[in-house]
Amino acid sequence: MTGSQGSAPRVRLVDVVKRFSDVTALEAVTLDVADGEFVTLLGPSGCGKTTLLRIVAGFERPSEGRVLLGGDDVTAAPPHRRPVNMVFQRPALFPHLDVAANVAFGPRIDGLSKAEIDRVVGEALALVQLDGFQHRRSHELSGGQMQRVALARAIVNRPQVLLLDEPLSALDLKIRLEMESELRRLHREIGGTFIYVTHDQREALALSDRIVVFNHGRIEQIGSPNDVYRRPASPFVARFVGDANVIPVEVSEGGAEPAEVAVGAHRFPAPSVDISGPAWLVLRPEVVRVRPPSGDGSLRGVVQDLSFRGTGHSYRVTVEDVPEPLKAEVSGGEAFAIGATVELTWEPEACRLLPRDPGAD
Amino acid sequence: MASLAEAPTRTTERAERRRAKPLIATLPAVAWLLAFFAAPLLVFLVYSFLTNELYAVGLPFTLEAYADALTSSLNRTLARNSLVVGLLTASTTVIVGLPIAYWLRFVARRSRLAVLFLITASMFASYLVRIYAWRTVLGSRGLINSALERTGLIDEPLGFLLYSRFAVVVALVHIFLPYVVLVLFAGMGPVSEGLLESARDLGANASLLWRRVLLPIMAAPAFSAFVFVFILSSADYVTPQFLGGKDGVTLGVQIQQNFIAVGNWPLAAATSFLMLLAFVAVYAIGSFALRRLRLHDIRLES
Amino acid sequence: MEHRQRAPIPTSITIAALLFLFVPLGLVVLFSFNSTGSLTFPFAGFSMRWYRQIAESPEFRSAVTNSAFVGLVVALVTLVLGTLAAYGLTRASTRWRTPIAVLLFLPLTLPGLFLGLSLLVLFARVEVTLSLATVAIAHLVYVTPYYLLIAVAALQRLDPALEEAGADLGGNGWLVFRRVTLPQVWPVLVSASCLAFALSFDEFIITFFVIGPDSTLPLFIFSTLRRTVDPSVNAISSLLLMITLALFAFAFLLTVRGARSRGLSIEPEALGSGSR
Repeated sequence: MTGSQGSAPRVRLVDVVKRFSDVTALEAVTLDVADGEFVTLLGPSGCGKTTLLRIVAGFERPSEGRVLLGGDDVTAAPPHRRPVNMVFQRPALFPHLDVAANVAFGPRIDGLSKAEIDRVVGEALALVQLDGFQHRRSHELSGGQMQRVALARAIVNRPQVLLLDEPLSALDLKIRLEMESELRRLHREIGGTFIYVTHDQREALALSDRIVVFNHGRIEQIGSPNDVYRRPASPFVARFVGDANVIPVEVSEGGAEPAEVAVGAHRFPAPSVDISGPAWLVLRPEVVRVRPPSGDGSLRGVVQDLSFRGTGHSYRVTVEDVPEPLKAEVSGGEAFAIGATVELTWEPEACRLLPRDPGAD
Repeated sequence: MASLAEAPTRTTERAERRRAKPLIATLPAVAWLLAFFAAPLLVFLVYSFLTNELYAVGLPFTLEAYADALTSSLNRTLARNSLVVGLLTASTTVIVGLPIAYWLRFVARRSRLAVLFLITASMFASYLVRIYAWRTVLGSRGLINSALERTGLIDEPLGFLLYSRFAVVVALVHIFLPYVVLVLFAGMGPVSEGLLESARDLGANASLLWRRVLLPIMAAPAFSAFVFVFILSSADYVTPQFLGGKDGVTLGVQIQQNFIAVGNWPLAAATSFLMLLAFVAVYAIGSFALRRLRLHDIRLES
Repeated sequence: MEHRQRAPIPTSITIAALLFLFVPLGLVVLFSFNSTGSLTFPFAGFSMRWYRQIAESPEFRSAVTNSAFVGLVVALVTLVLGTLAAYGLTRASTRWRTPIAVLLFLPLTLPGLFLGLSLLVLFARVEVTLSLATVAIAHLVYVTPYYLLIAVAALQRLDPALEEAGADLGGNGWLVFRRVTLPQVWPVLVSASCLAFALSFDEFIITFFVIGPDSTLPLFIFSTLRRTVDPSVNAISSLLLMITLALFAFAFLLTVRGARSRGLSIEPEALGSGSR
C-alpha cells in the first residue's frame, strides 16, 4: 500500500468480514471516510455497526479484510497503537481517578510534562464546557457530565479519528438534544474525523455529513442525510430512516413521463423509472394529503385511527388492496373522524419507486 | 493487494491465539495444582492397586485392596454411618439455609449487612474450636445436662447428647451452615421482588410461592450446596473422633486409622477412591434428576 | 418506599440460626475468663490466669509462630498466583478456559482427608522430608479455589469498557492492568489474601498428614484436646477465634470501604450477589 498521506482517505475499510464462531456479523464491508468527515453508522441493534467500530478501534480483529488509517495498514495493530480514540456507550470513567486524571490518562502515557498535561487537560475540559470540574470524582457528576468527561478524555490526544459508540443512548431526551448540538460544535471546533454509531435515525440525520445504513452485516446505503431520507435505496432504508409507507405496486409504464403504477384497480402517476412490473412505492407520511371524497378516481380509504400531533393530525387509513394501513401526517385543517371515508393524494414527484422481487412479500 | 484473499485462516488462528493469551497468567497456579493436586491423586490411585506387605508396598498390581475394602463388614457399617451423617448434615443445612437466604434476600432491611457479616464471620470460626465447643455444650457434665439437672428436669445426664451420631451431625451442621446460606443467598440474588409480587398477585399464598416458584428456582443452587456439604461432612474424620460414639464413627476415621496406625496404605487408598466413586455417583444421580425435571438451567431475566 | 413483608417464620429461623452459630463459641470465650477450671454455671469470677498459663508455654508460642509463618507465606504466594490466575480466567476466551477453571476450582470439592493422604504418599514417594514447607505447599492447594472465587467475581464485575478505554487511550496490557484494573480491585484482592491467611492459620485436616516434627496452632489444640480436659484450651481456642475473626473483619471492612469510596452500593459484594 503506497497511498500518499495527502490523498489517502482518513479511514479505509477493505472487504472487512467478521465472523463470531458460526455467526457472520459483517459481510465484506468496504468504506472510505474522508479527513474531517462526520460519518454515522446507522442500523438496528445487531446489524454489525458496533462491531465495525470496534474493528476500527482495534478491540476486534476482522476475520478477513484490511483496515487502513491514513494509508497505513493497522489491521493487526492493538488498540493502544492506533491513533484513534473511542467514546463508549457508558462513560467508562475510571472510578479511582478524578476528572482531570481521567482526561490526563492518555497524555500521561505519551510522557508529556506535568505543565503540558495540565494545559491540554484544561483545554479539553474547556472544549466540553467542564472547566472547573477537574477535581470531581465520577460519582459526583451527572450522566451528561460524565459523558462530556469521556469525550474530553478521548479528544485530548487529538486522535486522527474519534469513534463514538452510541454515546448518547443512556441519557435523557433533553440532555441528549443538548449533547447533539455540543457534538456538532465540537466537530466544527476541532475539525477531526468522527465516526458515530447509533440506532437512532433522528440523531443520524441531525449530526452527520454522511450516513452509512447497515442491515444484517451489510451496507444498505451510503449517502448524505438528505439523500438517504429522500432517495432511500431500499425498503429497509425507507422504513428505518424516517417514517414511510412502503406499498407493493405494479409499474405498467415505467419509461413514460410520468410513469404509471397500479395498486389493485387504482392507477396513478409516479416519477419516471426504468422499472416495470413489481415495485415498491415509498411514500413519506408528510407528503400524503387527506381530503373528503370527490370522486375523481383518487385512492379511497377509511380512517382507522387518528391522533393529535400539535401542529396537525396523524392518520392511519385502510385502503383496499393495500396490505397495511397508510400513514399520513397532515398539518392544520379539520380532523376526519374514525370511520370516515377519505381520499388520499400526493404529488407524483414526492414518491419513489424501488424494484421489488415478486417472490418476496 | 493479492495478499488480501489468503489472510482469513491465518487471521482466525491468530485471533484464537490472541484470545487465549491471557491464559498464560494462569500457568503458575495450574502448574502448582498439577504438581501438588493432580499428581498426588494419581500416585495415590496407583497405590490403591499395589500389594501391601509388612511395612512396605510393592508390585505386583492387584485388586486385593479393593476386595478387602468391599468385603469388610466393618467397612460396610462405617460406610453406612458416613452416608447417614452426610445425608443428615446436608439436608439439615439446606432446609435451614433456605429460609435464612430468603430472609436475607427479601425480608431483611437494615440488618442485612450485619447478619451477612455474622454468618460469614462464623464461617471463619476455627474448625477445631467448634468441635470443642460442642463437646462442652453437649457433654455429660456439659452445659445442657448440668442446666437440666439444676432445674430438676432430669436426674442423670442425657447420654445421647454426646458421643453419638446426633452430636456429630450437630457440630457438622454448625460448621457447614454458613457456606450453605451464602451459596443459597447468591442463588436467590437474581430472583427479583417483582417475581414474588407477581406470584402473590396471581393468588399464590406462602406455601404455593415456595412450592411453585422459589423451590424450582432454587433447586440447582440447593443441589450444589447439598453435594458440597454431603461430600465434605461424610468424609470428615475429626468430628467423629471427638464427638461420635459407636454409631458416630465413620469411614473417614477408619481410613485415617488404617493409614496412620496400621500402615496399610493400599487399603486406605482403595477405600478413599471407593468413597470418591460414591460421591461422583451421588452427584451424577442428582444432576440427572435435575435434568429430567428440567430444573438444571433456569435463567432469570435481570 | 420499599414495601417489605413481615415473615415470622424465616425471621425466627434466622435468629435461631444466629444463636446456634454463636452461643457455643461465645461460651468458650466466656469460660476462657473463668477463674476456676469448671465449665458449668455459675461463672466463678473473671480471671486471666488461663491466658497467662498458655502465654508461658513454649509449645504454644512456637505453634503460633509456625502458624503465622505458614499463613503469611500462603497469603503472599496466593496473592500473586491467584491474582494472575483470576486475571487469566476472566480475560481469556477459548476452549482451554473451562478445563483450566475446573482444575483450579476442583480442590474445593475434594475432602481434605484425601488431599492430605495423597500429598503424604507423594512426599514419601519422592522422599521429601515433612516440614512447615510441605504444610505451606498443601495449604496453597487448599486456599487457591477460595481465593479465586472472590478474585474472579471481583474481576468479572469490572466494566470491560474501563479496560478497553485504557487500551484505547494508549496503554499496553501491563499498564492497563496496573493503572486501571488493579486500582479498582486491590481492596478485594488484599482482603481475599487475608482470608487465605485465616484459612491456612486454622487448617487442620490436611495439615495433620503433611506436618513433620513441628506444630501449628490447630495441631497444638488437637493434641491438647486429646490429652486432657485442660481449661486452658478455652483460652487457646478463644485466641484462635479472635485472630481469625479479626482477620475476617478487616477483610470485610476493606471490601465494604473500598466499594463505598467508589460511590458503589455498600452491599458486601464479595459475599454474594445480593442485588436489590
